[in-house]
Amino acid sequence: MIRFMARKAPSVLFVLLASSVVAFALPRLAPGDVAVSLAGTDPSAANVAAIRKELGLDRSPVVQYWDWISGLLHGDLGQSYRLHRSVTSLIGDRLGSTVELAVFATLLVLVMGTALGVLAGSTKRRWTRATLDLGNSLLVATPAFLTALALILIFGVYHRWLPVSGEVSLLENPSIGIQYLILPAFALALSPSGIVARLLQTEMTKVRNEDYVDLALAKGTSSRQITLRHVLRNSFGTAVVAIGLEIGTLLAGAVITESIFNRNGLGQLAVSSVQSRDFTVLQVLILGVVFVAVICQIVTEMVLATLDPRIRLGAQT
Amino acid sequence: MISTTDSTMAEPPAPVAGKGAPLLRVEGLQTEFKLRSGGVKAVNDVSFDIYPGDVLGIVGESGSGKSVTARSIMRMLRPPGEITAGSVRFDGEDLLALPEREMRRRRGRKVAMVFQDPQAALNPVLKVGDQIVEAMTVHGVDKKTARARAVELLEQVGIPDVPTKIDHYPHQFSGGMRQRVVIAIALANDPALLIADEPTTALDVTIQAQILRLLARLRTELGIAIAIITHDMGVVAELCTDVVVMYGGRTVEKGSVEQVFRQPRHPYTAALLEAMPRLDDDRVGQPLPAIPGSPPDPAAPPPGCAFAPRCRYAEDVCTQEPPTLLEIGGAGQTAACFVAQRGAGLSASDIDAAPRTEVVPPAAPTGAPVLEIRDLRIDVGSRGRGLFRREPPVYAVDSVSLAVHPGRTLGLVGESGCGKSTLSRGIVGINPIAGGSVHVDGTDVSAMREEDLKRVRSSVQYLFQDPYASLNPRRTIRQSLTEALAFRGIGGRALETAARELMEQVGLRPEYLDRYPHAFSGGQRQRIGIARALARQPQTLILDEPVSALDMSIQAQIINLLEKLQNELGLAYLFIAHDLSVVRHLSDTVAVMYLGRIVEHGDVAEVYGNPQHPYTASLLSSSPVPSVSARTRERIVLRGDLPSPANPPSGCRFRTRCPIGPLVHPERTICTETSPELTVTPAGQRAACHFAGELAQH
Amino acid sequence: MTDVPLTAPGAAATATRRRLNPTLSRYLSAFRTPRGVIGLSILGIMVLAALLAPVLFPGGYDQQGSNALTGPSAQHIFGVDEFGRDIFIRSVYGLRVDLSLILTAVPLSMAVGTLIGLAGAISEWLGAGLQRVLDVVIGFPGLILGICLVAILGPGWFPLFLTILIGGLPTAGRLARGAWLTQQGREYVLAARVLGVPPRKLLVRHVLPNAMDAIVVNGAVWMVIGVYIEAGLSIVGLGVQPPTPSIGVLLNNGLRFVTQAPTYIIGPGVVLLLLSVGFSLISDALNEAVNRR
Repeated sequence: MIRFMARKAPSVLFVLLASSVVAFALPRLAPGDVAVSLAGTDPSAANVAAIRKELGLDRSPVVQYWDWISGLLHGDLGQSYRLHRSVTSLIGDRLGSTVELAVFATLLVLVMGTALGVLAGSTKRRWTRATLDLGNSLLVATPAFLTALALILIFGVYHRWLPVSGEVSLLENPSIGIQYLILPAFALALSPSGIVARLLQTEMTKVRNEDYVDLALAKGTSSRQITLRHVLRNSFGTAVVAIGLEIGTLLAGAVITESIFNRNGLGQLAVSSVQSRDFTVLQVLILGVVFVAVICQIVTEMVLATLDPRIRLGAQT
Repeated sequence: MISTTDSTMAEPPAPVAGKGAPLLRVEGLQTEFKLRSGGVKAVNDVSFDIYPGDVLGIVGESGSGKSVTARSIMRMLRPPGEITAGSVRFDGEDLLALPEREMRRRRGRKVAMVFQDPQAALNPVLKVGDQIVEAMTVHGVDKKTARARAVELLEQVGIPDVPTKIDHYPHQFSGGMRQRVVIAIALANDPALLIADEPTTALDVTIQAQILRLLARLRTELGIAIAIITHDMGVVAELCTDVVVMYGGRTVEKGSVEQVFRQPRHPYTAALLEAMPRLDDDRVGQPLPAIPGSPPDPAAPPPGCAFAPRCRYAEDVCTQEPPTLLEIGGAGQTAACFVAQRGAGLSASDIDAAPRTEVVPPAAPTGAPVLEIRDLRIDVGSRGRGLFRREPPVYAVDSVSLAVHPGRTLGLVGESGCGKSTLSRGIVGINPIAGGSVHVDGTDVSAMREEDLKRVRSSVQYLFQDPYASLNPRRTIRQSLTEALAFRGIGGRALETAARELMEQVGLRPEYLDRYPHAFSGGQRQRIGIARALARQPQTLILDEPVSALDMSIQAQIINLLEKLQNELGLAYLFIAHDLSVVRHLSDTVAVMYLGRIVEHGDVAEVYGNPQHPYTASLLSSSPVPSVSARTRERIVLRGDLPSPANPPSGCRFRTRCPIGPLVHPERTICTETSPELTVTPAGQRAACHFAGELAQH
Repeated sequence: MTDVPLTAPGAAATATRRRLNPTLSRYLSAFRTPRGVIGLSILGIMVLAALLAPVLFPGGYDQQGSNALTGPSAQHIFGVDEFGRDIFIRSVYGLRVDLSLILTAVPLSMAVGTLIGLAGAISEWLGAGLQRVLDVVIGFPGLILGICLVAILGPGWFPLFLTILIGGLPTAGRLARGAWLTQQGREYVLAARVLGVPPRKLLVRHVLPNAMDAIVVNGAVWMVIGVYIEAGLSIVGLGVQPPTPSIGVLLNNGLRFVTQAPTYIIGPGVVLLLLSVGFSLISDALNEAVNRR
């Protein structure tokens, strides 16, 4: 397993490094002078020069990058020049909200995606399958924000059952907090669940045609046992990969979902940073997303390796 | 269509005295695939019996319905397959009438099954021990007993080091070992009947011999009855007591192996046995009596006898109604043929009625070879070179020298993984050469620069094994041929004429030029492949297993075509195959390859008649021979598997499996110390063995 | 010996359409399946409406009425917005923006991605290197990529276009490279190589047609995602800027008045859903047609 991870390390490091370069380059690619725009309306030349010096913009890009990245590695995320606060505190305030949403939504994807997939992949009744197929297709075809709008209309406007705007932290008040969390989490999770379910179903159908399923049948194994021991165990890898990939999409979707439900999370912070061109905040957020995506990828591959002895023990083929 | 009652009247063949009640009786079985375009009868009125201790061979070509028959017995048909008529009685109980629950209790316990591809038949994520245990626990055995029995079973099927291996995963086993595990699973509940669906087709000939020997042993030790589904007449002759010959979904002939092989009653069986090349072939240089045409399309079967369109005895009645299976000769042998039933014998002269060409005695090689390789080495290890790692070289071909002369055929024989395909692909520049040299027409082209490749490609062409993979499905035959003809620098009219000529040369209608490959059968596609190679007017043709993917009734057609083309065009062939009998028929000289090295090389008659290297001797004795008289011959069955070329044994590479090496003679340390050179033996051919000739048959 | 001319099994059945290019005929067969027909009709109507918008609604999307924020009526089937503008007309004009985005960016993206994926044909080193670059791009989900580009370029049509273009490159590149790598080992490609066919022709004749299948299907999928990217970014105010209507802009506005006029977002929402369903159906139908043997 350690050797397996070591083999993956170079490509992971490369992705992280390259993303950090992209994040670093962001403000420098934008038209106009960052220092000028930060200095506000009608700035004096001295003022601009001072800001430039403070930001280190007068030094070579390589040195600037080195300063920035070593700062990040030491936990210094920099200052927001628009909000005049440290990025650490800005993110710290909002991290909880986004983590709650992302974790809850991921759990939903795990549960709903696998449940729907297994159901659709093992039912033999034609009508059940047709209904599940249709439901899945609908889930897949509806993006998070559209689901969000529909949920708001149904559960917030027509039936005022759940709050549609704002949030309460789960830690402070779990029973109220969960009410605020339900709609955005479902909005975020439904479409990825559909995708996971569909991939799992396709894989199960494929595995069912494998010779070893026939051999199990020839042993006298019951169809329930075949599904559990042979079909599912060989299909889960696909579901794991799908879930791993969908978490990235889910995080990106959180930006919009937070905005729609007026949750003051990192997504909202990202949107407002873009609107105010507050690059120091944005850079950290982008790196954070890539970092989480990379972690997901590593976890995915570790789970895959435990599921499949051919990866774990190194197959010749 | 015949009704079931008709066939029951013809049935059963008088049971041989002392056999008692049949273990399995299949009567009037009919299986249909219900497609949107209509029903396709894959199995049409098939009946046979299996008695305890019998080994029944169900033999037929692809599409003959043999595998569907096996699945129907187990009630394991995949939709849209459906049994539409007939009965399958096991110990008198009709399996087809049982509810699925009850059938499940009988699967694995009364009737067990072994599948063709051991690579695919084991669940990759479960330990092999657990897979054997599962076979017992589903029938109520407790886990502990099952585990103990699993150890016993693995030992019984010949897995070494069972306590460790039982907790290994399938991918840690070789193909032959996996098939042993599958057999262990099948034996777990002491079934009375074992159905084996092409159990050795995916295996090499020496491994096949191991598995066949295991099955034969199980039959004598356990008294288990076996039904073996195969396309290989040799396997039937070797292992079976009785045989059912299937063609176009029907049984065409049935009887004891003795009867059917000594005196086939159905023209199909007779023609097939005649058309097969043999190890002891004396027909060298003559065309094989090939069966014309191709097997029927199951979706559009002929109205009468399915074989009638290809049968030389066919009469009007044969094309009108299907014949029933009737006893001929009074000894229990039955055949479904109007002509045979009338009493007309299939005389040997009739069978041999194929046109003969003048036999040209193979002349000694004259002049310079058109293709020669010297000390060739090919490294396949460095392919996966990454940024951070460089893999050690793996020489799949290690210091091989061969020469191919105009108008003559060099056969290259060896098991999969011995490097024979790597070698041939190295010659045409697909695999890079790591050492040694390749000479085309006396010019050294080993550097494989632009101009070398040009020379190679205008002189050496390649025919691939798989006729389905070697034609681009998106391009018409004309496009495929034009691509090759373009190198002649012709266009317009001349191109058209050349394309039509090529089609005729390989026995295809020029009208087919505008069709896509999917409209052709395997044999036809292989003809197209030959036409494409000929388009470049080569001097040498490398034939990489050109017939092994084809049905047995088609193989002879292609072999004959290749021989005809060689005679007409004076082509040199480098013929690569694992099937020794095909090599024997087609080659003048033969080289035997083992783990990247040539171990024996010489004139075909000499090598086959008096093999000097123990590997050649064991290959020859492992090959199943489709003849009952060969059943009693002494057989050398090699132990173990082919070692990995990444880590070849020291000294002689064959010593880890050699029947005369240090395995049996520990004092022969020379084998582990010194690699034997290819030297001339007293028998005439060259062999690379310190003790050459010890296993010779004479 | 003389060979009897053979008739192939199934030859008669295929004889009628043997002259049609099989690649093309398979794509076309996708539009004969129920899914394909429905998907094509939905999109056909939408494209037609978008094209003909100036003819159908010569008043443009800015014509204001006297009422504001009223629900659907016979006159205004989607209702009117805060300025009394007809939401249906604005949706049709919004479609023009969305369709112009995806119908330009997606094909371009697929084409460029394919070229990048096939770069391995020029040099294996270049191919592997470019693949690494695409691996980095794939680390940025579509919306995050969009946020980066909007941060650099400011909101508008062009950053959306770039987002859809760049976001589609990795998958198309991987598919093309995958086809290049697998096709290289195919026997018919080897056969052509042995004949002496130069690499450039191998690419065009054998590799590209086989890569096409997966890329065409992926293109249809990416159109759906393109619509999502536009709508998603516009909803949070980072996409197309009002007063130009796009589906996302309309949803953004609707969301602001969701309590006063809940019906506002339904119209544009349905249009978006239909767009997404239309492309999904077509990609499914194509996928099925391509994998049918």
